Amino acid sequence: MLLSSEKKTADMRSAYGDTLVELGRDDPRIVCVGGDTTDSLKTKKFGDKYPDRMFNVGIAEANLVSVAAGLSIAGKIAFASTYAAFIPGRCVDQIRNAICYPSLNVKLVVSHAGLTVGPDGASHQQIEDIASMRTIPNMRVIVPADAVAVKHLIRTIARTPGPFYLRLARPSSEVIYADNAQSFLIGRGNVLEEGSDATIIACGLMVVRAIEAAMELKRKGVSCRVVDMFSIKPIDSELVVKCAKETGAIATAEEHNILGGLGGAVSEVTAETYPVPVKRVGVRDTFGESARDEEIDTLLEMYGLTATEIAKAVLEARSRNRK
Amino acid sequence: MGTLYFRTMKHDPSNPTWEDRDYFINSKAHSAPGFYSTLAVAGYFPPEEIRTLRKLGSHLQGHPVRYSEHQKHHSVPGVEYSGGSEGIGLSVGIGIALAKKLDREKAKMNKVYVLIGDGESNEGQIWEASMAAGKFKLDNLVAILDRNRIQQDGFTEDIMPLDPTKDKWAAFNWQVFEVDGHKVEQIVDALYKAARVHDKPVMIVANTIKGNGIRHMANNPQWHGKAPPKRQTEVLLEELESECLIAPSIIAGERENYEDKIRKVEREGVDMIHLDVMDGRFVPNTTFFADTIKKLRPSTSLPFDAHLMIEKPLEQIQEYIDARCDIITVHAEACTENEFKEIQERLINAGISPGIAINPGTDMPKWLYRSLHDLDVIIVMSVNPGFAGQKFMPEVLPKMMAVNKELMEHGFRGYIEADGGIDATTLHQAYDAGARIFVAGAAVYGGGDIHGSVIQLRHKAAVALEKRLLNHSTRLNVRSDWMKARKHILIPYANELGIEEELHAIK
Repeated sequence: MLLSSEKKTADMRSAYGDTLVELGRDDPRIVCVGGDTTDSLKTKKFGDKYPDRMFNVGIAEANLVSVAAGLSIAGKIAFASTYAAFIPGRCVDQIRNAICYPSLNVKLVVSHAGLTVGPDGASHQQIEDIASMRTIPNMRVIVPADAVAVKHLIRTIARTPGPFYLRLARPSSEVIYADNAQSFLIGRGNVLEEGSDATIIACGLMVVRAIEAAMELKRKGVSCRVVDMFSIKPIDSELVVKCAKETGAIATAEEHNILGGLGGAVSEVTAETYPVPVKRVGVRDTFGESARDEEIDTLLEMYGLTATEIAKAVLEARSRNRK
Repeated sequence: MGTLYFRTMKHDPSNPTWEDRDYFINSKAHSAPGFYSTLAVAGYFPPEEIRTLRKLGSHLQGHPVRYSEHQKHHSVPGVEYSGGSEGIGLSVGIGIALAKKLDREKAKMNKVYVLIGDGESNEGQIWEASMAAGKFKLDNLVAILDRNRIQQDGFTEDIMPLDPTKDKWAAFNWQVFEVDGHKVEQIVDALYKAARVHDKPVMIVANTIKGNGIRHMANNPQWHGKAPPKRQTEVLLEELESECLIAPSIIAGERENYEDKIRKVEREGVDMIHLDVMDGRFVPNTTFFADTIKKLRPSTSLPFDAHLMIEKPLEQIQEYIDARCDIITVHAEACTENEFKEIQERLINAGISPGIAINPGTDMPKWLYRSLHDLDVIIVMSVNPGFAGQKFMPEVLPKMMAVNKELMEHGFRGYIEADGGIDATTLHQAYDAGARIFVAGAAVYGGGDIHGSVIQLRHKAAVALEKRLLNHSTRLNVRSDWMKARKHILIPYANELGIEEELHAIK
C-alpha cells in the first residue's frame, strides 16, 4: 500500500533526526555537522547519542559544508544541516568546488525551505535553492513530500555514494504515504493518483495540495494524474514523457520560485522530448513576507500556492492542449 | 612542499590511498605547478607529464582536482583535495583531522597539513576555520601560511593588511611558529616541534619571498602571474643553480664559547655552520668531537656542515650521525673506496648529505667517479688542513675548475665547497672556479665586525654572480634585454663590473 489510510500530520525534521540516530547506530561512518541550529534541525538527538560524531561549527556555513567535505575525504558519510537560507544560501561556491567537483559523499539536509518558514520573512524564505543546486554537476536534488518519505529518502541517500541536497519544510505536514511504503528510488517519481486528462507533478508540501486539486477537478469531471516528483535531479524523464503522452497537459507545483525549479526541470524534459502545455505553480519570481504560524495558509494563498491555484493551472494547461 | 613530501610526511607514491598516510591539502591551489612538480618528483606520476600542464585533455588541470575513479582523466594520484576557490582548504583539513581523531587508535598516526596563502587569508572562511580548529583542539592539524606578502593587485599590506599575523592566529587558540620559508632546516624544525604540540592546532608562519632566487623578480608584484621572456630562460635557470652559501667556521677567531659564535652569525643570516673536527692524528691539531657537536645542536636550527679531519672515519661515523649533523664530509685520503661507500650509504639512510674532501696535494681519486650520483658536497681544500687562519692557495683553482667540469659531466649535482683562506679578496676566484659553498673562518670571526664581514662576503658573491649572468646573457645574445630587466639590481655593482656607462645608456 502506497498511501496512508488515516489522516495525520508529522514533522519532517523529527523524521530526519530520528532516522539519523538509527543510521548512526548501524554505521559508525555516519557523522553530522551542524551550525547552531541543531535543536531546530533535530540533529541534536544524534549529537546526544553520539557526541563524538557531531560537530557544531557555529554560524559559519562555508566552513560547515567544507568540514563535511573533509570528513568525507577521510571516509565518513557526512550529513551537513542547517536552514536552507544558509545552505546553500551562503555557500554555493563551497558546495560546488569542495563537494560536487570531487563528487564527495556529503549529504546536505536542510530545513525551512520555501515560504512556510513563517515569521522570519523573506530573508529566510529560500525559494532559489532547487535552481542553484540542480545546475551543479554531480549534485542530486531531493524534495520529500512528507515525514514517511523523509525517513526512507534519508536512508537512501546515506547508502548512495556522492553528494545530495535534500530539502525539508518547517511546518508539520499531512502524512501522505503509508508507513511501510517502499517506493522511493532516486530518479523515479511516484504516481499517487491515476488520471487521463492531465497530470500534476508536484514536490514537497505541494504534493498534498496536488492531491486536493485532483479531487476538486474530479468533481468537475476532469481525470487528473498526480505525481510526487521527490527526485528533481535526476528527474524521472521517462515518467514525465509518459504523462505528457498519456494525459496531454501538465501542471507543476512547488514551494519555490517558478524559475529553475521543478517546473523548469519538467519543462526541459517535455520541451526536448514531447512538447505539451505546461503550467507552473510556484512563487512568481518575487520575495515573500512574514506570517505568523496561524497565518501560513493565508500566506500560501497570497502567493498562489494552493490546491485551487493548481486546479486552475491544470484547466489552463488543458485548454491549451491542441490534441 | 618539498620538505613535507621528502622529509616529514608519511606517504607512499606506490599506494596513494594508504590508510596510515598523512594528508596534504593545498588550499592555495593556484600554486599547482609547484604542487604537481613535487608529486612528480615524489613518484606519483611521470615527470614528462608536467609539459601538459593546463592544456586541453591534461591530467594536470589549472587547479588540481581530487583524484578518484570519477576524476581520473583530470587528475593524478596523490591529489586529495580539489582547490581553486580560495579559503576552503583549511576547513576541509579540519574535516579530515576530525575524522582521523574519531578513528582514535590511529589519531597519533595521521597528520593533516594545509598550505594556505596570505592573500587567501582575506577570505572570511579562513577565520571561520581558524575558530573551529581551535575549538576542536586539533593537534593533528598543521597549517602553513605562505607569507610572501604579495597578492594579485599588489602588496598584501596595501590590499588588505594581515599583520599582526602571528598574534591573530595565537588569539584564535593556535600554537604559532615562525620560520624563514626558504630554509628547509627551519621548516623541518618547526614541523618537528609541531608534532609535539598537544590540544592545539599548529600554524607555521613561513616568511617567504615571491620569486626567490631570481633577484629582479623577487618580491615584485609585477611577476605574480606573469612568465619571464623565453629568451632569458637559460640565464634565469643559471641564476637558480647559482645559489651561494656562506658557512662560517667556528674554530676561527678568539677563543670563546661556540654557542655565542653560532648565535652571532645566525643573526647575520648565514646559511650553515662549518664544524672542523680535527683529531690530532690525521691533522696536527685537535679541535672537538661528536660530543661537542651534540651539545651545540639545540642552539640553532642552521644546518651543521661537519668536516671530519680524522683517521678511520668509518669507525666513528655513527657518533656524528647521532649528533644530528646535516652534512658530513670525510677525507678521501682517510678512506678506501669500500669504506667511503659504506659511509655514504649510512649517511643517506640517515637522511644526511655525504661529502668528500681532498687536500691541496691530492688528486680526485678515480674511484669517486663511481659514487658521484649520491654525493652532495666536495670540499676542495685551498689550504693544508690543520689550522685556522691560513692563506688561500691560488694554485688549487685549476684543480677546482677541472673537478667542477669533469664531475658535472659524470653526473655530480652537488656543491663544490671552498675551504681555506676564503675572504673578500679570494671568494670570487673560488666562485669562478665553480665553488658555491664558502667556508669563511678568519674572514668572519677575525676582524671583530661580524656583521660587516658577512655583508662584504655576500656582496662579493653577488658581484661574481652578476658577472657570470651577464656573460651568459652575452653568449645568448640577450645582454641588453637582460640588463634592462635587471637594471635596478645591477646599479650597486656597476662600478665593480665595469658596466656603468652601458647601464646608464639603458632606458
